[in-house]
Amino acid sequence: MEARWEVIVVGGGHAGCEAALASARLGRKTLLLTRERATIGRMSCNPAVGGLAKGQVVREIDALGGAMGLVADRTAIQFKVLNGSRGTAVRGLRCQSDKALYAEEMTRTVNSAPNLSVGEGTAAGFSLLGGRLGGLTLEDGSTLVCGAAVVTTGTFLRGLVHVGDVQREAGRWNEPPARALSDALVALGLRLGRMKTGTPPRVRASTVDVAKMARAPGDARPVAFSFRSRGEAFPRQRQVDCWLTHTHEAVHDLIRESLPLSPLYSGRIVGRGPRYCPSIEDKVVRFSDKPRHQIFVEPEGLSTDWLYLNGLSMSLPEKTQESIVRMISGLERAEILRPAYAVEYDMVFPEQLDVSLETRALPGLFLAGQINGTSGYEEAAGQGLVAGTNAARVVTGDEPLRLGRHEAYIGVMLDDLVTLGLDEPYRLLTSRAEHRLLLGADTAYARLTGTALAFGLVTEQEAAPVFEAEARVARVSEGLSGARVRPDRATRERLAGRGVSLMEETTLAGLLRRPEADLAKLEDLCAEMLDGETAADLAALRPEERDRLVADLRYEGFVTREREAIARVARAAERVFPDGFAFNGIPGLSAEATERLERHHPRTLGQASRLPGVTPAAVTLLLARLLSFRRGVAA
Amino acid sequence: MARLVADPDRGGDVLVATATPPGASALAVVRLTGPTGATLAVARRIAPRLPEAPRPREAALCRLVGEDGQPLDRALVLFFPAPSSATGEEVVEFFCHGSLAIVAGLLAAARAAGARPAVRGEFTRRALANGKLDLAEAEGLAALARAETRGAARRALGLVEGELSRRVMAAREKMLDVLSGLEAALDFAEDVAAPDARGVADVLAAVAGEAEALATTAARGGARDRHKVVAILGRPNAGKSTLFNALVGRDRAIVTAVPGTTRDAISETCEIGDEMLTLLDTAGLRATEDEVEKIGVDVAERAGETADLVLYAIDMVLGMKEEDEEFLGKGRAGQTLVVGTKADLVGGDAEEGRVEVLASARTGLGLEALRALLAARLGFVQADGELLVLERHRAALVSAASSLREAAALAGNLPPAPELVAARVREALSALGVITGETATEELLDRIFATFCVGK
Ligand SMILES: Nc1nc2c(ncn2[C@@H]2O[C@H](COP(=O)(O)OP(=O)(O)OP(=O)(O)O)[C@@H](O)[C@H]2O)c(=O)[nH]1
Ligand SMILES: [Mg+2]
Repeated sequence: MEARWEVIVVGGGHAGCEAALASARLGRKTLLLTRERATIGRMSCNPAVGGLAKGQVVREIDALGGAMGLVADRTAIQFKVLNGSRGTAVRGLRCQSDKALYAEEMTRTVNSAPNLSVGEGTAAGFSLLGGRLGGLTLEDGSTLVCGAAVVTTGTFLRGLVHVGDVQREAGRWNEPPARALSDALVALGLRLGRMKTGTPPRVRASTVDVAKMARAPGDARPVAFSFRSRGEAFPRQRQVDCWLTHTHEAVHDLIRESLPLSPLYSGRIVGRGPRYCPSIEDKVVRFSDKPRHQIFVEPEGLSTDWLYLNGLSMSLPEKTQESIVRMISGLERAEILRPAYAVEYDMVFPEQLDVSLETRALPGLFLAGQINGTSGYEEAAGQGLVAGTNAARVVTGDEPLRLGRHEAYIGVMLDDLVTLGLDEPYRLLTSRAEHRLLLGADTAYARLTGTALAFGLVTEQEAAPVFEAEARVARVSEGLSGARVRPDRATRERLAGRGVSLMEETTLAGLLRRPEADLAKLEDLCAEMLDGETAADLAALRPEERDRLVADLRYEGFVTREREAIARVARAAERVFPDGFAFNGIPGLSAEATERLERHHPRTLGQASRLPGVTPAAVTLLLARLLSFRRGVAA
Repeated sequence: MARLVADPDRGGDVLVATATPPGASALAVVRLTGPTGATLAVARRIAPRLPEAPRPREAALCRLVGEDGQPLDRALVLFFPAPSSATGEEVVEFFCHGSLAIVAGLLAAARAAGARPAVRGEFTRRALANGKLDLAEAEGLAALARAETRGAARRALGLVEGELSRRVMAAREKMLDVLSGLEAALDFAEDVAAPDARGVADVLAAVAGEAEALATTAARGGARDRHKVVAILGRPNAGKSTLFNALVGRDRAIVTAVPGTTRDAISETCEIGDEMLTLLDTAGLRATEDEVEKIGVDVAERAGETADLVLYAIDMVLGMKEEDEEFLGKGRAGQTLVVGTKADLVGGDAEEGRVEVLASARTGLGLEALRALLAARLGFVQADGELLVLERHRAALVSAASSLREAAALAGNLPPAPELVAARVREALSALGVITGETATEELLDRIFATFCVGK
């Protein structure tokens, strides 16, 4: 392994791969340092990519030139859009993946990327150069020089795996943890916490009776994550079903009886677990009135007989797990290939990072993924992409990539992490985004391609078809808004037959805004009324683009109002506190807010509003004071 | 989930302040607030006979000693242990005699014992920080401190006692319940069924109604609080109408050189400082046989009695006359501001016993000073957050109500668009956040996780 690099990425998981690829894409000489080549791109938990809010993130990663979307498209064995019947902003693209194929495809992507090398080793510490990160030391005692590094160690920092009362030091089932790096981070002055996550049992497919379960098929017409999949065969893999079964009262009784054996309840696990991904012990205890819980049975791949029992994560002893699993319909004879287990690991409280993901303790050092207290492949990958980009840019002395809350779910996540802090593993939810209606998966390219191009994350050739597709949707939309529909008898009757009433003159766009109308019902009318070119554009739209067209019309009023709110906030945020502005003595402002303001002395209202403890109400008071201060000075 | 961790070192000082208005009075109240132990220690330096562990909320008669150890006063001392005090900290109150010397001596003694004089609003801030008050209540307290009419005091007291907060919070609870149902079904589509649309629409419409009712209440409070009435009185030809026109900024009243021009009272709104007030021009005061003018004079006198403030005009060219003496002698001293008019004709430094400010409506000379004096006399302190309270609340409630109406209408639509309903409910919640000082996101998530079994 060479000793000098511009950027080193520690860890080859979802965050590490995106970080390394982004840095290499920006032309930096990049090393992906992993304990073991064979673990690159490994999915350590569920065999799926995407979901609600997460699917949007995968799209954003794709728009920003990342790999996750394309790799997922190529290796998926089922596609399903969650919330498919709801508005486009809240639909979640998801796929079931062949785990082995996914890791293989990601490894191939990493290996073939220019400027990117892979080396095996375990980071143990940091070396400093003039107050900045200067390099890494490895557990074998060797040293590497670098200008910036991204640490993405997932659950490996002092990882501790629990199965019942059996514990062993491991970052994943049987992979050794990283022991030294936690101390090195503490030595930099960083505050570390401990978190917990869990994974359910895997069972052998040939011992499962799916005939007793409900079939959970994918969508008939799969929707791809990546724009780039349009240029190739899709879907590439054979598509398969998942299965649905349920727990029942007898299972719950057994779980309740066995609670003393669960390290979660005996107090042996100290790390905080996520509420959105509760263990079955938690579900049974907290929702004791629920007679049953869902178990999705998901294949881990096409050429393996491992099945993943989604919904059964726990940390009971192996023997008890077997009894529980075998009480469930269809799993009576199931052979457990790997028991459910919980893993505890160290994380760094993310308030200690800038939104660029650089640590304030050591310039040049970036953190991404589970080490920042998040959970989920997509959250990790999104952070990896940002951290890798910014590590590359710090080396060349360029401004970092910062994404706003109104621009991307990745922006919501980064802002939440660095300003709110956290006390349980963080997962993105659409309800965390105040501008959810702007952040649909379908609008990811419109939102981010410009930025990606400006930062060099995608090339002009890559961006061109994206812009072209955007322009086509815009042209059709304009055409629909210009096409007037008059309520003459013939048209009225024609529409009435389709359940659409027409009382006064409107446009095609106006008709489409009605909840009872849709493009399919108006197909012929559109073809007649639009000019030839626009009609051809409409015919060329992909199903997702057609949905988006209608969604844009229906969201129009909402989106306008949100944009106004964003602009208002931006304008207010630019207000500068004049010299002599005193933060103390403002009636109604909490002591905590006052102290923070006095300590940090923000330059603008926007900066003030991002300080912890400075609530929206406090911002209102500051604004009021600012306005009267201005008047006072002018008079 | 994410909770902000309070700074452990906040609010370290013992603060001292007078709780009663400055100036001599029968009684004055001086208060200490601060950390447990430290506050009592300061109090016991001033009142050495105060026991080490005074009985909470029971008055003890103690001798107070000054900085120099000399006796200062005998006063009632009250002890409030944390957290059951106004600020949530340890509090000691001294009810002493209200002479300026005693109060000053007491403050000096407290400072010498280690207390720091509080800056304006600091007691309230501590109460806010210790969760004793929310933002609306703190604003109410500020309003109470400056309330001049009993009605205003009552309204402000309502705020302090959390009346508004309580009602807003109740509305907010219902909104959060509805919203968490909608959000849970959106974010955990595989685990949670969508709530019944009709039920959602009904609840939202009901909450919108409550918000509207609250807004009306706030509007009434706000209107009465702000519009004070100032009547211009004076002898005929004193220049009242000319001054009136200058203050309202347009030629509203007729001006002539003929005494007795104005007959009926003329009312116009006018901005002074950051506040609106109602300005009245009236007929000149004189004994007259003219039937119409007589009625005008009566109206003027009555206006003078009911106005919040009389702006009494004296023509500086003529000086004080008998009628002026008579009117000013009736002794509404606190509610009269005497202005000398036509200052351009006599030079800016002319003197006349009772005249407080000289002005020329013709040249504008002295008008700025007159405005400032008016603002001060009417208690329009410099504008800051606290003066915007009621208007801010009203605007927030109106905007929340309109978002909720839209949400209710959307919820009734078919096919349902829960993400749009949720967008409007969120808008309403963030509008209310202006009153309660709270944001909804974290609370919403807490509620989702507590109510619904979600996740795999
Ligand atoms: N030079 C000068 N003349 C003024 C000024 N103010 C008023 N006057 C003159 O004084 C005369 C009376 O002014 P008004 O404003 O009508 O007086 P008034 O007090 O309203 O009189 P009545 O309505 O009759 O009671 C007019 O001729 C005005 O032009 C001033 O500031 N400077
Ligand atoms: Mg007049």
